[in-house]
Amino acid sequence: MKKKFNLFHPQYAARSWFVLFNTIFFIALMIIMIVPIFKIFCDSMVNQTVYGLNLLPRGVDPETKEVIWFNTIAYKRIITDPQLYHPFLVSIYTTLLTTFLGLLISTLGAYVLIQRDMPGVKFFGYALLFTMIFNAGLIPTFLVMKKVGLLDSIWAVIVPTSMNVYNLVLMRSFFEGIPASLFEAAEIDGCTPMGIFVKIVLPLSKAALASIGLFFAVAAWSEYFHYVIYIKSSDKYNFQYKLRDLFQDKQDASEGTRINTNTLKSAAVIVSIVPFMFIYPFCQKYFMTGVTMGAVKE
Amino acid sequence: MANNNDNMNFDHVIVKEPSIGQRMYKYRWFYLMFLPVAVVLAIFFYWPMFGIRYAWSTYKLKQITMRTGPDYSIGWGNFQRLLTSDPFHSAFKNTIILSFFNLVFATVLTVVVALLINEISHAWGKKIVQTVLYLPHFLSWVVAASIFMLILSAGTDATGADTSNMGFVNAILYNIGIIDKPLDFLTESKCWRGVWYIMNRWKETGWGTIIYLAALSGISPDLYEAAEIDGANRFKQTIYITLPSLMNTILVVFILNLAKIMNIFESVFVLYNSLVYDVSDVIQTYVYRVGIVGNDYGYSTAIGLFKSVVSLVLVSASDIISKKVRGYGIV
Repeated sequence: MKKKFNLFHPQYAARSWFVLFNTIFFIALMIIMIVPIFKIFCDSMVNQTVYGLNLLPRGVDPETKEVIWFNTIAYKRIITDPQLYHPFLVSIYTTLLTTFLGLLISTLGAYVLIQRDMPGVKFFGYALLFTMIFNAGLIPTFLVMKKVGLLDSIWAVIVPTSMNVYNLVLMRSFFEGIPASLFEAAEIDGCTPMGIFVKIVLPLSKAALASIGLFFAVAAWSEYFHYVIYIKSSDKYNFQYKLRDLFQDKQDASEGTRINTNTLKSAAVIVSIVPFMFIYPFCQKYFMTGVTMGAVKE
Repeated sequence: MANNNDNMNFDHVIVKEPSIGQRMYKYRWFYLMFLPVAVVLAIFFYWPMFGIRYAWSTYKLKQITMRTGPDYSIGWGNFQRLLTSDPFHSAFKNTIILSFFNLVFATVLTVVVALLINEISHAWGKKIVQTVLYLPHFLSWVVAASIFMLILSAGTDATGADTSNMGFVNAILYNIGIIDKPLDFLTESKCWRGVWYIMNRWKETGWGTIIYLAALSGISPDLYEAAEIDGANRFKQTIYITLPSLMNTILVVFILNLAKIMNIFESVFVLYNSLVYDVSDVIQTYVYRVGIVGNDYGYSTAIGLFKSVVSLVLVSASDIISKKVRGYGIV
């Protein structure tokens, strides 16, 4: 393939102009994607009402007229105010619990679903798939939660998020790729079904576990609406809920401090995406494995 | 089979199929393993299905606290009320409009971006572009909406032309001279849908390209080589080879998303407000307000049921189309 970059050579010009425009297009697109986040990052470090066009983490103190770079006053507020850091801790432990429970449910379910000779396995499969296409709806589900006493319990959020049929089906297609001869050999050697699951299936599906585990983690971290319907006590809210609360101005968390409301809001947005930013570069390939796997199977 | 040990000729031996009881016994541990899944499925997904009957009742918080239970004397009353209710019509209309246009924008933009990513020959450049473009997908809707609220803010004092209080976008528009006073995008019915489409595309376009990129990498290089020998330039190759090869994937993604158009919810819920209900209220948010906020369980179950049935029809239709297009269904 011709690769020479020359904007005026008759043979290469058309391609070269295209490459130039394509490059400019993607630089522009990346700027569009990043600028909103970068703007919020800068605003979170500027403690003043003036924030219009500023795209630097640099502000002027209104009293001393002193230029301050990287003003972390809003972040300090978040890590010292229990009302703000407690939801963050809730987010962390619900995320860990949901990921663990989600992986447990999907791997167990998927392992059972690949047993073709098991009586009733087709029924289990259809029972799972049916929930994907028909859903009782918000209110009947809410009333069941009320009946079983899960209102205002963190489990009302964790359990439904852990039971994700799509992830379970994805896991099943990973498991189906494991050669059946491995199972047979282990069975002949006297391995129990649970033994096969722990010693063969799980170690062979590390990539799947990582990828689906990350899907669960992201879903659990982003969880918001379940908290809106099921949770009433303020000490059980997660960080997304708290963030939303700040933006709805139900209570002004910056009251009584010298922190500008918008600075605090921006800092809260950044805090909620920071844990993800740390793992994203290392885990990107696992996210993609999950998606392409699903696409092939569908 | 033990009885046949004395007979060396096994030809006539019929291997008996194990009975269902024997097979169930063989798989006994698997039933135990499925138990947690079955319990969760039964409680959180199938038990609520019995609650669908509330759609034919008047059931309010009052009946729960007084323990009298739902009153079924109204028959189809909730559905009659629903079909003549203006907020419901508006919610239904908004659901269709928002989903449909979003789906069209998504298909066009995602395919174009995927084709262009595919043209990046620089391996590192491609990786960086993909990393950046996928990023917003992982932010929650709450965070996405929060970011948009901040950068679109009109400032605390929306009356004066005080640029210092404006959000990023207003400040740009003001300084270029397009507007002479800050615009409150999120409380303005004219702008709200546009903002919602942009937020959706900002968050999901990059992520959507993955599936197309996977399909693009599957196109045989022979086709391009042959086209090149025939004198087709890159543009012609895209039109005559790449797009037709992608057509199947485009259709499949379109059908899958078509099945989900009634489900839009959280992206709207985090961005809308009472000032723009006319353009933003969708069925799910309406159910939430009537049922959870208003405690009118009977009527809101009826609305939810209506939505679920329409969804079911859409899924079945998509399934039939899918079977026609690619030979197998979507579920």
